[in-house]
Amino acid sequence: MNRNKVWTTFVLIIVFTLLALLVDIPQLPNWVPGYQWFSKHKVHLGLDLQGGTQLIYRTDTSDIPAGQKVSAVDGARDVIERRVNIFGVNESIIQTARLENEWNLIIELPGIEDVHSAVNMIGETPILEFKEQAPPHELSQSEKDAIAEYNQQAQERAQDILEKTLALDADFSLLAQEYSEDPGSKSAGGDLGWFSKGMMIPEFEKVVFEDLIVGQITSELLNTDIGYHIIKKTDEKIDEETGEITEVMASHILIITQSEEMIRQNGKWQYTGLTGKQLKSALVTFDPQTGEAEVSLEFNKEGAKLFGEITGRNINKPVAIFLDNYPLSIPVVREKIISGQAVISGSFKLDEAKELARRLSAGALPVPIQLIGQQNIGPSLGKISVDKSVIAGLLGFLLVTIFMIGFYKWRGVLAIMALSIYALIVLALYKLIPVTLTLAGVAGFIISLGMAVDANILIFERIKDERRLGKPLPVAIDDGFRHAWTAIRDGNITTLIVCFILYQFGSGLVRGFGLTLGIGVLLSMLTAIIVTRTFLRITTK
Amino acid sequence: MFDFVGHGKKFLLISGVFLLISILALFAFGLKLGIDFKGGSILQVAYPKERPANAEIVSQLNSLDLGEINVQSTGTSSVILRFSEVSEDVHQQILDNLGNVQQERYESVGPIIGREASRKAKYAIILSLIAIVLYVTWAFRKLSRVLKKGESWRYGIGATIALAHDVLILLGFFAILGYFKGVEINVYFVTAILTVLGYSVNDTIVIYDRIRENFLLHRSKDMIGTINLSLNETITRSLNTSLTTIFVLLTIYLFGGVAIQNFILAMMVGIITGTWSSIAIASQFLLFKRK
Repeated sequence: MNRNKVWTTFVLIIVFTLLALLVDIPQLPNWVPGYQWFSKHKVHLGLDLQGGTQLIYRTDTSDIPAGQKVSAVDGARDVIERRVNIFGVNESIIQTARLENEWNLIIELPGIEDVHSAVNMIGETPILEFKEQAPPHELSQSEKDAIAEYNQQAQERAQDILEKTLALDADFSLLAQEYSEDPGSKSAGGDLGWFSKGMMIPEFEKVVFEDLIVGQITSELLNTDIGYHIIKKTDEKIDEETGEITEVMASHILIITQSEEMIRQNGKWQYTGLTGKQLKSALVTFDPQTGEAEVSLEFNKEGAKLFGEITGRNINKPVAIFLDNYPLSIPVVREKIISGQAVISGSFKLDEAKELARRLSAGALPVPIQLIGQQNIGPSLGKISVDKSVIAGLLGFLLVTIFMIGFYKWRGVLAIMALSIYALIVLALYKLIPVTLTLAGVAGFIISLGMAVDANILIFERIKDERRLGKPLPVAIDDGFRHAWTAIRDGNITTLIVCFILYQFGSGLVRGFGLTLGIGVLLSMLTAIIVTRTFLRITTK
Repeated sequence: MFDFVGHGKKFLLISGVFLLISILALFAFGLKLGIDFKGGSILQVAYPKERPANAEIVSQLNSLDLGEINVQSTGTSSVILRFSEVSEDVHQQILDNLGNVQQERYESVGPIIGREASRKAKYAIILSLIAIVLYVTWAFRKLSRVLKKGESWRYGIGATIALAHDVLILLGFFAILGYFKGVEINVYFVTAILTVLGYSVNDTIVIYDRIRENFLLHRSKDMIGTINLSLNETITRSLNTSLTTIFVLLTIYLFGGVAIQNFILAMMVGIITGTWSSIAIASQFLLFKRK
């Protein structure tokens, strides 16, 4: 290499060093051109250095089809991010991390000391899911056996009640209030009111219209699809022209049985993709007929489209609105709804409706979450760590300086200059990328400093060797570099491989270490072969 | 010139003794896993004035049924409590029961995260070892051409045996520390192991590199002479590099705060064994079954 090139490289090194220095200095005075840009970059300190809270939540995606899990988890992350931002946490980081077949949410809240309020703040986030009925599934033998057994018991119960109603002094309506399992008529003493033909189940109709006379109670149990009925005919209206019974008034005691069809349908609610993720706003409204408080939901565009599809394919079928894993309301769809609006009517008190609307407005989660880990570091502890690492780093550097100059004399001075430039550039990079510095990251940096020293030592030792062979100094320097290079390269590449693995597989802390060490190793190679070499060439004629 | 190869048997014996102690310690004591791996909670609190006796702290928490509580003093008026993983509500109750204290640090790790962390750690260490064997074998492929086929595998395997030696001694050292001093293994420790792997293999490679160069330069068939020459040529560099790194680590160990002290200690032990194993194991392995 000719002298001109060496000087050009030297000038470039100086320029880069100055630029790095400008980035490194925390607050530049105003007269420096572009001071705003340079001072804009701050060192990002990890939780262990500045204090704060880390929360790890497990998301429960077991209900969600395989292909949609990731987007549901991402939705949860966005909701929590929004929520955390509302509470004004600066620089919060929310990541999803896959863990075999589960996804975790890792939430870092720098500066938040009060874990309790942080946990509450996130835990308060409601989980909102719209679910539809799963298609019927074939029953297993044990399920069929269970149904048969349940129905057998129901029949025995019903038979006992029937005997009680047939007793001489029995009060049918009191017995109905006590035993009937029909929620619609139970409190009215089993009274079903007036009804005409065609309104009831055929078997039921036959009994009240044809078999019974007014005041009579069925002497046997009537078994319908719903269950066992004990019926008392209480009144009738007769068409005077034809003499036919037109309307009947009756009471019944119902003991519900299970049918295979019911079990196939019941309780199997499946994921529809419509969740709190697509919620735009929630408001308290009132039912115009009953005056009851309700919560009106408005979906975003995606949610409106989904809701339209869901209601479209579930006409006359129920759709369940799950809040915090509980089916809050199960309305039956009357028609396809394309307006993107839904109403939760769950016989709320006004306060409850207001509270729910408020919680939903702040964001609702598409999946249930559970706190499985947390970490909290007080700011004083972090401050102590920063101070101590800085002192330790400087002291270490001082020791290395003394050693290098003592052992390698003037070349040691050059090496320390090269190392200082290296340190300045690495720190500038940490700010620019930006790298979040943790204690482990600081250790990674200091170790990379050691590797940088090593590269210099390797080179100097080789130059000594070449000098021993009687080569003139400039030749010895060039040959020394060439021979040292393979060792520096191979050694650093293996370390880089380890850094890469640390970065890929590690959790946050290990990742930071891998990143800082990796950046350090790459740059230390560069400084050793460019900076040290140029300095050596300039100082030898 | 120092006859490294001549003293090879002695080196192996020294390494053998350390390895044996380490393996025995690992079997007898096992590693003391921290909450990072087995789940659990750590709570560090500062008392405004003097900290109460350990027994008193434990009795304050009796009603909460935390299982085994380990109390350890730290700093001037702080204590570190270790107990099983608890919910956030119990955590708040603990703070209430302790009375007027300032929480400095709290970590709670569920067993799932712990399992995942230890799975990842094993994965990372094994993967690093494999990657290193492959890279070293590839980097020294020229030797296969000069000497005989498959020669470069010897280098890859030699480097890995040296690494396994370093890792085992490091594990044994911490098994002993865990048994006598209650030192726990955490994620930092795994990071230290991986860094030591990188560092130790770097050291081995510098020596191998010189051996490779001397082989290619002299086309010598004198294995022992070439290895001895190369070790003598690189020993100053090896010692100087290790010493400077240990200087830096020692300052962090002494002044860098308690949180990473064990991490730094692990690195120091690893760097010493790494330097040693490059000379005593990796280089000698090149002669294995050849003398």
